[in-house]
Formats: sequence, structure tokens, C-alpha cells
Amino acid sequence: MNFLSLSRLLALAIFVTAPVVRVEAQKSTPEKSIVRVNATLQDYSFLRPWEKGAPTPRRGLGAVLEGNRVLITAEMCVNSSYLELEHPSSGARVTARIAGIDYEANLAVLEPANSDSKVFEGLEPLAFDDSVTAGETLNVWQIEDNGDGVSTDVEVLRVDVGRYFIPGSVFLLYQVKGSLQARTNSFTLPVVKNGKLVGMLLSYSSKEQTASVLPAPIVKAFLADLEDGEYEGFPNLGISFAQTLDETFREFTKIADKEGGIFVREVGKGGSADKAGIKKGDVILSIAGQAIDSRGNYNHPKYGKLSFSHLVRGGAKVGDSIKLELIREGEPLSIEVPLARKKAEDFLIDPYMFDRGPKYFIYGGLIFQELTLPYLESWGEDWTNRAPFNLVYANSDPHPFEEEGREKLVFLSNVLKTPSTLGYESINSVVLSKVNGVFIKNIKDLSAAFAAVPENGLHTIEFDDYPKVIYIDDRVSKLVNQQLIQYGIAQLERLE
Amino acid sequence: MNPPRFLPSAVLSLGFALAAPILQSQQGSLPGPRLVPPGAAASAPEKAPPLDMPPPESVQTDISEIEFDAIVRVEVDTKQPNYRVPWNVGGMGSGNGTGFLVGPNRFLTNAHVVSDSRLIYIKNVSDPEPYKARVLYVAHDCDLALLELESEADFEAGFKGIQPLLISGIPKLNTTVIAVGYPIGGDRISVTRGVVSRIDFRGYSHSGVDNHLAIQIDAAINPGNSGGPVLQNNQVVGVAFQGYSGDVAQNTGYMIPVPVIERFLKDVEDGDYDRYVDLATSFLNLLNPAQRRALGLPNDGIGVMVGQADAAGSAGGVLKTKDVVLSIDGHPIASDGFIEIEGERVDLNEIIERKFSGDTVALEIWRDGKREKTSVTLKRFIPYLIQAVQYDKQPSFVLYAGLQFQPLDRNMMAAHSITDLRTRYFYGFYGDDEIYRERPEVVVLTEVLPDATNTHIQTFKHLVVDQINGKKITILQDVYDAFHGDFHEEGHEEYHVVRLVGEERPLVLKREESAVAHDRIKSQYNVSFDHFIEKPEILEIEGLFEKSEDGKEGAKADKDAPKPESEEKPKEESPKAEEAAPAKKAA
Repeated sequence: MNFLSLSRLLALAIFVTAPVVRVEAQKSTPEKSIVRVNATLQDYSFLRPWEKGAPTPRRGLGAVLEGNRVLITAEMCVNSSYLELEHPSSGARVTARIAGIDYEANLAVLEPANSDSKVFEGLEPLAFDDSVTAGETLNVWQIEDNGDGVSTDVEVLRVDVGRYFIPGSVFLLYQVKGSLQARTNSFTLPVVKNGKLVGMLLSYSSKEQTASVLPAPIVKAFLADLEDGEYEGFPNLGISFAQTLDETFREFTKIADKEGGIFVREVGKGGSADKAGIKKGDVILSIAGQAIDSRGNYNHPKYGKLSFSHLVRGGAKVGDSIKLELIREGEPLSIEVPLARKKAEDFLIDPYMFDRGPKYFIYGGLIFQELTLPYLESWGEDWTNRAPFNLVYANSDPHPFEEEGREKLVFLSNVLKTPSTLGYESINSVVLSKVNGVFIKNIKDLSAAFAAVPENGLHTIEFDDYPKVIYIDDRVSKLVNQQLIQYGIAQLERLE
Repeated sequence: MNPPRFLPSAVLSLGFALAAPILQSQQGSLPGPRLVPPGAAASAPEKAPPLDMPPPESVQTDISEIEFDAIVRVEVDTKQPNYRVPWNVGGMGSGNGTGFLVGPNRFLTNAHVVSDSRLIYIKNVSDPEPYKARVLYVAHDCDLALLELESEADFEAGFKGIQPLLISGIPKLNTTVIAVGYPIGGDRISVTRGVVSRIDFRGYSHSGVDNHLAIQIDAAINPGNSGGPVLQNNQVVGVAFQGYSGDVAQNTGYMIPVPVIERFLKDVEDGDYDRYVDLATSFLNLLNPAQRRALGLPNDGIGVMVGQADAAGSAGGVLKTKDVVLSIDGHPIASDGFIEIEGERVDLNEIIERKFSGDTVALEIWRDGKREKTSVTLKRFIPYLIQAVQYDKQPSFVLYAGLQFQPLDRNMMAAHSITDLRTRYFYGFYGDDEIYRERPEVVVLTEVLPDATNTHIQTFKHLVVDQINGKKITILQDVYDAFHGDFHEEGHEEYHVVRLVGEERPLVLKREESAVAHDRIKSQYNVSFDHFIEKPEILEIEGLFEKSEDGKEGAKADKDAPKPESEEKPKEESPKAEEAAPAKKAA
């Protein structure tokens, strides 16, 4: 699981000094409003789903919020086994826990596990400022080893919409220019304007000397959502679209006399658009009263041209309704779309999966798993060529599997050589269809199907492709299961 | 007993073919697309060595008896078709290999020496005269070709009194052999010596999808040795054909062994090369006691289970999933898929490897708890052709208003570096998922030559075409017809409408504009002709495409229909077909 490839880390191996100003203790200053965050991360293994990988450290800075809470990027504590907050100068430490996290929005709030710690002694919470526009100068905060604060100026080049952390999950971003120095605890850094928090630094390119900042408007929405204790997340529409710059195509779809509009290429099953009845081939002319141009942008009063997705993610909450003006088969149409968020686990193939291991089930040495994108990505950078192609393709077009009524794609990932699996050793990466005659919609079905032992004591396991069908002996498999536990596989299943 | 799998090309790009440095044309650098089928465990007959073979230590120390005049230099000018810009003539190149006389005016060499040839000249060692030659038969699936001099008089002049080389059998391990030919390093004939290192099945890199018996030797064989004889006791024991480049492995050269050579020579006796046949069936071993019990089999270590018999293959309609094959031509099949022939344990496909198109193979099967006898009439498995490297072919294409359409095959995938997952799926699963039933040819929009009329549809290239102007595209000819015939989408009469598989946004061109644009684009882009269409070989499979109008539904119903008791023998394919048939992994 190489989500956190080097390019996404703050590659801070630079030695150019930019305008660095020692900040006078006046309003909020780095040393007064940030804490060090020390995380120990441990990825899950897909080859051996009962294992966790080697622990790796990650150190960043969090912004102190009201109520002794600390804001960081979610990436900072992804798959964390241990989290710790550290006072910037005194070095006082306390174990931390995650009070709220959203990997799509790449934000997390930490709180101390022990409230009477000295980590927050002398520290003041930061206020927010969400007024940033292009051309302004912001300060990126860092802390020296000795606890002194450092503030580096960066200039906002533009405000647009781009990827945070999860591929395909886009939000509002400030693109900034400036030169940052490598310091400890640099994985994530607070960005301020006049002592008020305007965002968190997401990524930095030392070559280009540009960085992107996760902005305060998104942070505020995240925090507001957390307040009632039930986190909903940011809504999504669930469509993919084509631009309509092509005049011939505009005439063909009978939108030639209109301005702008985007053509709906796909509607994600079970997403907001799907539920509201948006169809493939619809042309969306406006969203929430904002005209959408033929590239998919609208005119934001402050930021200028911005992707329509910000109208959904930045301007509305789960549960809100949003009005779409459409052209369908040449006729105008207006549809209210109640906004929801399709969670990662609601997809046939989870687009991301953190803080839990892959779901698996081992029986007699057959290792079954639910397919997730991280499983495929565990093949490395070039996973589209290196992972089993049938699974790569299933991920790119899950529709036929959804039509079959599957909730998850359960497959035989590997076969451990055991007395029960004799002859099956070379079988791997095949999609499961039935066990003992029962269609397998998810890994729990699989567990239940194996629990019902047929009269002849033989389990029938059917696949979509080669080898089509195999059988294992229940008595032998149960013995094997015991041996596997003795052998050191602590758990033969993870169904939740 | 591996299932069909799709491996990165690195796994299979084992060797270099041994034709001498051909000046490669600028395009079409194979090996190609990322998806390469493992191809085939087609196997060669195990042949007992002749009884009169002398003991190993004395073999081939004396070369004075060798008829060097029978070993010729084959000089070839090539023209390599351009699958990227198919109307271009293609790259010109030249190269040379080796060949040898096997009969009156019959020279054996490698297929890859003479593939894509324009001109072939043959020279022997003691005669300055180059003689013009031509290809009589070429077998791309086992990398062999038979040449003849165009003029009998030339043959009389150049080869009078020269005896053809005699063909022997399979040499024993660790016996000495010599490779003779015209490799790089000089112009005169070269002799290198080594021993037989290994006898095994391996991929033949010329087609990229075929596996046959091959013999590894440690005599130095280098580019230019290709097609040359490997001798023992002055008799041919193999044809040098491929090896590793020096940075991969040392002292490993491969030769095509006698069983493969003899099969080729026998196949062409009737005037046509009919290619290797294939069961096109995947088998699962029956080592697992639970599997055997479930299938009602005794624990006697006999039989393999049918995973899938491809509908377009020999066993399609004869074998079904879960059938157990107990014996093949009377040889009991062990539960690991091996049989015993002449005292050797060999893959069951050995039987098939010996057979010819139209031969039958007798199978004893276990179906629904009963023993049955059946037979399969063998033919080659055409669907795997799309994954084989194509030679001696002009690329098919249709260009209309800047939109370039080509049928999916390995050369095209490589030339356009196609990475689109759906298109890769069609390529990789064309056979396994029986895509050919709905689309005998998978037609891809490979290029859009930019013009004012099509400037916004650049991003849609490399996708599979589903329909044009309401006409379903099942072969390339449909594309030509859809643009030039009376076809239009209902209500969209003034447009050409191209619909791509998996893409909701249609590509639309105005009919009036595109007719003008077509001529403009042709002249601007120097397009000398705007289509070349060849009927795909797969249409020759009888009984598959009668119901093509019904589309997928019809085909599926047909497939699932219960088979009558009296089995229908698959029809023999036409021998006119031109390309190599890749064998398919069957066990």
C-alpha cells in the first residue's frame, strides 16, 4: 500500500532560504499555537492479510483548536498504531486519539487520551480566516528543534479544485508559491494569515517551489460536521462528465443555443445523482443556480472559474438538496438532488481503506478476500500492468458484478499448500461465484456458506473462470485450520 | 496445468530471434502490448533416438564428411508493414540467416528469416552467384519455412550433385553437436560446437504465443545462425532458431528439434501448411481427494477435469466443464495431466502435438458418474491469433474523415501503445470470454487525424467501436459500409454517429462537412489510400456466426442449450487460411 509515495510527502530537502521571519510574540505565533504530532504508522498486508507491516514513524505539526484539540491532515495518521502529541518547546508528551477523521477531505482532529497532560500548557487555540484569495501572502508555520517558531511567507497563486489524498476525491485548494526548509515534524504544517489559521499545507514541490494548501472553508465544514457527534462527510454527486466544447456535439445533443453545459457520461450506482434520477446522456446546465460552462466550471464570486464539484462539496452538506437544470433528449428538465455521500464501503470495490485490515476468510488453506483498490495498488506504482488483469478490469468496470447483485467482489486470492488444497496450489486471483450452491455477495456470506457443511462433507467452490469448480473436504479443512493457527496465523478471518 | 493467464511481456520476451541484424524499420517494434498470453503447451512427439546411434563420446568430432555446400546463406530484403500509419509502405530492411538443402530444390530455414520478405537470395559456400528464391511454405507457429529457387535451372547450376542433409532424431543429453551457419563475425561459413544441455518445451518467440519442444545447446549460436542446421554424425538434429542476449544468460542457444521439423515437412506434403491443432481446453489436475470424491471417481490416480473447452476450439461442444478425461488415444491420463509414451512421462498434449488438422483423437471421459467414449476432430484455435505477432500481412484499416479504424491484434496494440483497460480486456479475453461471438473482429478507433471537423474527439481514441450510424460493428468491413452505405441513426440523419463501447458520449461528425474533410485530410496527411480490408479468418469457423444477427443473446442461448446425444463433429477449417495458429495452453 504505497499511498504515501515520496512525491506526496513534503520533499523538503532544500537549502534555499526564503523570507523567513522570526515572529514577535504578539498575536498567535507558531510556538504558541501548534503542537508536534508524532505518529507510528503500520500498513496492513494484502498478501498475508492477517499481518501488519513494519512500523514507520511520521512527524508533523498540528494546529491547536478550541477545547485542547489538534487539527492535522488525515494522511498524517493513516493506519496509525500509535499517536502522540508533544509540546513544541517543553517536550511534554501525551498519547493522542482520533476524535474525528475524513480521508476524502484529508482532515483529522486529535485529542489527548489523558486530559490533565501538560501538552497544551501555555498554548492558545487558533482562530480561522477563510477570506483568502489569489495574490495574498500567507505564512507557513514551522518549529525549530529548540522550540522556536519559524514563519515562511508564501504567495497564493490561485484557488482551484484538485485532489487531496484519495484519487478522484477533489476539493478546494489554494495553490501557493514559496520556498520552505526541511525541519523535523514537517509532514503537515499549519498555514496562517495574520495569526489566523487559513489552512493546512498538503504537499510541497521543492523543484517547483509550489505547494498546495487545504483551505479553511473545508476545515470549517469538517469541524462543523463533527460537532453533533455524527460525522456525515462531504457529499458527492456521483457522476462523470464530458465537456461540451465540440460545436457539432452541442448541436447533436440539442444544446447549441444554450451556454455551457456538461454531458453526463456515467452515473455511479447508488450515488446522489443516481437516486435522484439523473441519467447518462443528460446535459447539466446549472447547479444550485450557477451556470456551468462547457468545461464544467462556474463563476465563483471570489475565486473566479471553479469546478462545479465545489458547489456540491464546498457549498452544501449531506442532506441538503441541490437543484440541477438539465437538457434531456433536447427537452429542459429541472431535478432536485438530495445530496448524500457514497462511503468507500458502499462501493463494490472500496476505492480506499484505512485503519482496518482487508477482509478475508481462510478455510483449509484457501484464502478469500474482498477486492479493494488498495489490494490492487499493493502491486506497486505500475499496478494496472502488474496486478491480475481480471481484477484490474473488474475495478475499472464493476457494473456487471453489481448487476449480479454482489455487494463486494469476493475472490480466491491465494492458496496455501495444505492437505486440504492438494492440487490447487497454483490457483489464484479468481472471482468466486458460489459456495455450496450459495451465491456469494460478500465475505460474510462466504463464512456462512462454509458453516453449512453438506451431507457428503465436501464443500463445492465455484468460480466465474478457470478452474470453474473445486471441492474441499470439510473434516480435513478443519484440521488444517487448527494447524494454521498453531503455525502462527492468529486469525483465520476478518469479516468486519 | 495452469489456467490461461496474462503475463507482463517481460515474462515471455525470452529471446532474440536469430536472423542477423536486420535494419529495423522505424515502426512496429514488437514485442508488443503488455498483455501476452502464455500461449501454449502444445507439445512435440517424443521420438526414440535411432538404435544405431553411436555412443556419446565419439559423436561428431570429424567434420570432413559434412556437405557444406548444402548449407546456404539466405539473404532477405524485408518490408515491414506499418500498423501505426497503415497506408504507408512500411520500413525497408535487410538481413540474413542460414538455410539448408533438405530435398531437390527445397531449403529449410526459419520463418523469422523470411518473414515480411520482399526479395530472397540464396548463396552457397563455394559459388559467388546469388540465386533468387521464394517462400514455398511458412509456418509462423513453429518458426520454420521451406524455400525454393525460383528457377530450376539455377538449382541445376548451383546445386548439382549436392546431397541434401539427412534428418536424424532427438540427440541425447550431453552429446556433442555442431551448429553450422552464417552468423555475425564474418562472411564465410562458421562452425561452433557444444553439447545438448536440455530438452524441454518452451515458447517460440517468433509468434509469441506458441510453445513446442525445443532443445537447448551450449554451442555458440548468434544472429545469422537462424535457420541453420545443428548436426550430429553429419545428420540434422535441429534448426538453430533463438537464444538469449548475452546480458540475460550465457551459452544458451535453442534449436527446433526433429519432431517439429518432421511434422512441418509432413504437414506441407499435401501442398498446404495447415498449422498446429489444439484442443483449446483448460484442464485441472485431479490430485485432490475431495475433488475426486465429489466427481465420483475412484482413487486410482487417473483423469483430469475439464475447466473450460473453448467454443471455437476443437473440443468446443464435445467437452464440458467438470467432464473428466480419463484417456487420450488409449493412453491413460494420470491425475497430473501426464501420459506415458514409449516409456517417457509426457504432457497429454504430446498426442495433440503429433496430429494434423482433421485428425481425430479418441477420448475416454467420465461424465455425470458414467464412463463414455468420444472423439474430437482436431483443428487449430483461431481466436488466439489476435495475440500472435502477425507477419506477411498488410494491415487492415479504414480511414474516414480523419478517424482511423483498425481491427484489434497484437501488432496494432503494440504500434499504438494502447493501454486503455477496456481495450486491453477485449485483447486479453477475446478467446476466453468468447468475445468473437459478438465481435469476430474487435474494431478500435486507433487514431484521429486532427482537422477542424474532428478536433474535439481526440481524447476518444484507442476505444472499441460499438456502432456507427446505427450499424453494429462486428468486423472492419462494417465500418466502411456504415460510412459509405445507407446507414444513419434514427433522428440523426445529418450526422455520422460513432458509438464506442463503454463511452456514453457519441462521436459526431456532420455528414456534409466530413465528406469534404475526408478528401482534405487525405491530402494533408499524405494518405495514399483510405482503406484496406481483409476478411478475418475467424469467420471461417463454421457454425459460429449464422446467428450473428441475434447478437449476444442468441449466442448465449445457443451455448447453454443442451447438446444432443449424437455429438456434432466440429467442421474442419479451410486450409486456405494464411496465418499461424497459436496453440492454446491446454493443461
